[in-house]
Amino acid sequence: MAASLRGPGRRSPPHAEPLTRRLAASNAAPLLLRGGAVLLVLLLAGCAAIGGLRPGAAAKPTREVLPNGVVLIVQEHRASDVVALQLWMRMGGRDEAADELGLAHYIEHMLFKGTPTRPPGSIDTMIEGFGGTSNAFTSYDTTHYDFVVPVEHVREGIGLLADLAVNASFPPGEIENEKKVVFEEMNLIEDDPEKFLLRRLYELSYSPHPYGRPLLGQREFIQTLTRDQLAQFYRKHFVPKSMVLVVVGAVDPARVRPLVDATFGRIAAESPARRASPPVPALDRTRRADVARAEKQAYLGLAWRTAPTGNEDIYAVDLLTYILGDSPSSRLNQTVREQQRLVANIEAGYGAFEQAGLVTVTARLEPANLEKAEAAILDVIRKVRAEGVTEAERHRAVITAESSYAFDIETAEGLAKSYGQAETTWTLDNELAYLARLRGITAAQIQAVARKYFGDDNYARVRFVPEGASR
Amino acid sequence: MIQTTLALLAVALLATPVGAAAQTRERLDNGLIVIVRENPVAPVVAVSLLVKMGTRWEEPANAGISNFVHAVMVRGTEKRSGAELAEAIAALGGKITAAGDVDYSEIRASALSRFWRELLGFTAELALAPKFSPGEVDGERDWLVGRIQKRRDNAPARAFDEFFATLYGVHPYALQVLGTPESLGRVDHAAIVAWYRRFYRPERMTLAVSGQVSAAEVLAEARRLFGDLPRGGPVSELSRPAPMSPGTRRVVEQPAQQAQILVGGIAPSLDHPDHAAVKVLSTILGGGMAGRLFVELRDKRGLAYTAAAYYDPVREPGALVLYLGTAPGNAAKAEEALLQEVERVRTDPVGADELQRAKGYLLGRYTMDRRTNERQAWYLAFYEVEGVGQDYAERYRRAVEAVTPGDVLRVARQYLGTLTTLVLRPR
Repeated sequence: MAASLRGPGRRSPPHAEPLTRRLAASNAAPLLLRGGAVLLVLLLAGCAAIGGLRPGAAAKPTREVLPNGVVLIVQEHRASDVVALQLWMRMGGRDEAADELGLAHYIEHMLFKGTPTRPPGSIDTMIEGFGGTSNAFTSYDTTHYDFVVPVEHVREGIGLLADLAVNASFPPGEIENEKKVVFEEMNLIEDDPEKFLLRRLYELSYSPHPYGRPLLGQREFIQTLTRDQLAQFYRKHFVPKSMVLVVVGAVDPARVRPLVDATFGRIAAESPARRASPPVPALDRTRRADVARAEKQAYLGLAWRTAPTGNEDIYAVDLLTYILGDSPSSRLNQTVREQQRLVANIEAGYGAFEQAGLVTVTARLEPANLEKAEAAILDVIRKVRAEGVTEAERHRAVITAESSYAFDIETAEGLAKSYGQAETTWTLDNELAYLARLRGITAAQIQAVARKYFGDDNYARVRFVPEGASR
Repeated sequence: MIQTTLALLAVALLATPVGAAAQTRERLDNGLIVIVRENPVAPVVAVSLLVKMGTRWEEPANAGISNFVHAVMVRGTEKRSGAELAEAIAALGGKITAAGDVDYSEIRASALSRFWRELLGFTAELALAPKFSPGEVDGERDWLVGRIQKRRDNAPARAFDEFFATLYGVHPYALQVLGTPESLGRVDHAAIVAWYRRFYRPERMTLAVSGQVSAAEVLAEARRLFGDLPRGGPVSELSRPAPMSPGTRRVVEQPAQQAQILVGGIAPSLDHPDHAAVKVLSTILGGGMAGRLFVELRDKRGLAYTAAAYYDPVREPGALVLYLGTAPGNAAKAEEALLQEVERVRTDPVGADELQRAKGYLLGRYTMDRRTNERQAWYLAFYEVEGVGQDYAERYRRAVEAVTPGDVLRVARQYLGTLTTLVLRPR
């Protein structure tokens, strides 16, 4: 149950292991002793993918729209005897007013606290007693509530989700207690240099657009948050037309619809009112921030504005991101880390949202190398603009995308997530056609997006510098 | 409802669940074990090669050497450089990693299943023909030292490392898998090669493969790739004194926003008769959001952000660890509340409903953790290197189901009697 402040880069979902060893440098970590287990939990707690796209599926899901506007997506998936149930809301951090930052995330925390028929604590007890899991994620465009349960509990699971969608009771005592929890979550992100770097990079790249705001909100507002504010926001946004229910697992799709009609189908129709956002700002040399930090190593983050979901350029930008910084054989890894030895770790990620997209390049390095590493990254990108990418690189990027998809659909919840994300921030059809579209992109198209979006000046930059270090 | 869950799990473990998985096991003439699980669900394949080599055989003077060996290993083979290998694996839509752990070291690989043969080939090449170029050693050491530094900067990781060091004393489980800058400084190229030769012997290795593959084809290829490796003979094993919980309380300080509190004791190994009961105890205290620590300390009192219990299966005595991450101002209260929960579970028998919830959670998680081929392959190999047999999962399930409130009370009194505490305080 957490806010999303994971890096962009939809290609590495929270549970994913990094590609080969150097990135898997981080691999050594999860494998590490028992401390590793904790880290993994912390990472999972703090993350939800904030990018939106996924390659398409082979088997097709069914998509139906209930009379009240609820969208139902169902697919049979018999990898194990479980079913993934996910309620995706077309609502997220960007729907908050400037003086109510953190509401969407706070509701995410409060939703599982109870309804008139379910006392505080009983929801977690029920799901865990099934041997299942529950989780929830807040992003800028969407919020989602997820269960995975043994398939014989599909009826209780759908009933529970529908109850939460309209009957959350926000018990006053729970609201107060949860404040401390949210403050701790804020601390946790600040303690993690990689998460906090991305947080600051997004803030710097998007402000004053809502994508630049902290999803967890501001302490001052959360401190004074009232039950009325929560309930009002909830009633406004939790309407059937904003709801997408995704059911993937060892189920017969024909058996699911009646269960949904009897629950979600009974919610009274009402129209959503999403908040309009200001335009996304252009990036230039003024978007720079240096932050003193306690870590002994430095961190560097650069961000370029690129295509939002729904834009035709996403396919080429996605492949370009893979080519730049997805694996040890990527250009940034080969040049800046392997040959020049300027960074200990470097990667690129693409966060595509409905209203804008951002490609980030982040690195961990010695403070003395900050300037040189930035220049080296710009050189790598300059070379792509001038000379393009090779056919072999393009081919490998497509294979990587195909592989990423194949590993995602190993699990019911992975497939459900790709559908929910696509339906709320893009379209299911685009999602299903994604791999085919990627395969059709040429090396020339990849070079064209590099020229279109990646300049020597039009990026935001955040640096974390060890306290007391000279640079 | 719980009864239904357990019944279903039984079916899932005993019979073949929907859409999944038959498995085949073979011991090659040289002693290497191969296990293949056919899983047609997604077009992927995962490989786990486990070798009995890890922290358990290390000393403070060479701590981290098993992991160091693997860091240098992936820098290249007799046939190709590390970069060429990375390139070749990427072309399969795959990844390959190698790292040391406590009871074993692992080469882990996965790819699109249509490339299973190539993937197996690269795994064998890395394991059997690593180059160990002397020129790579210093660079890898620097890189590992950077990782150690990063881990020390991370408050929860640092707290766990300090806790295990205190709890295990002179037992090798006290050592960090990464080692220390000092210990890695003493490990040179010759030591790396010697350590590799000492442990990479077919009798110590298990190869497990899971995915959209044919078992017969994979077995034939595995025999071809690994079958010619000569036996290496037994490795002399030191016998170590059993660790004893020292019952001390230590405070360390470092820059951080959160305070970390770890309280625990030495617990049974994974094949000990008490293992299942301690797993249940651990779940009652800190198994997810319905665990007592989460409900009492986080949900009801807001005293901690993270509240969980850990008890991982290992070959020698394990550790039951209760863990809190909290605001510095709440740390004293949180620690006190945690100790009250320990006292409660040592005094009052657990109720029937709570016990059933814990069992459902534990067994549900056990099934949930086997949804990917990567985890399946690892489990298959893990049971072999830990020497507990492929029927372990089923025996474990039955043992968990049989745990009574009296068992929980008994193991709580036995294993949470002498508590060792580590507090990491933000500076």
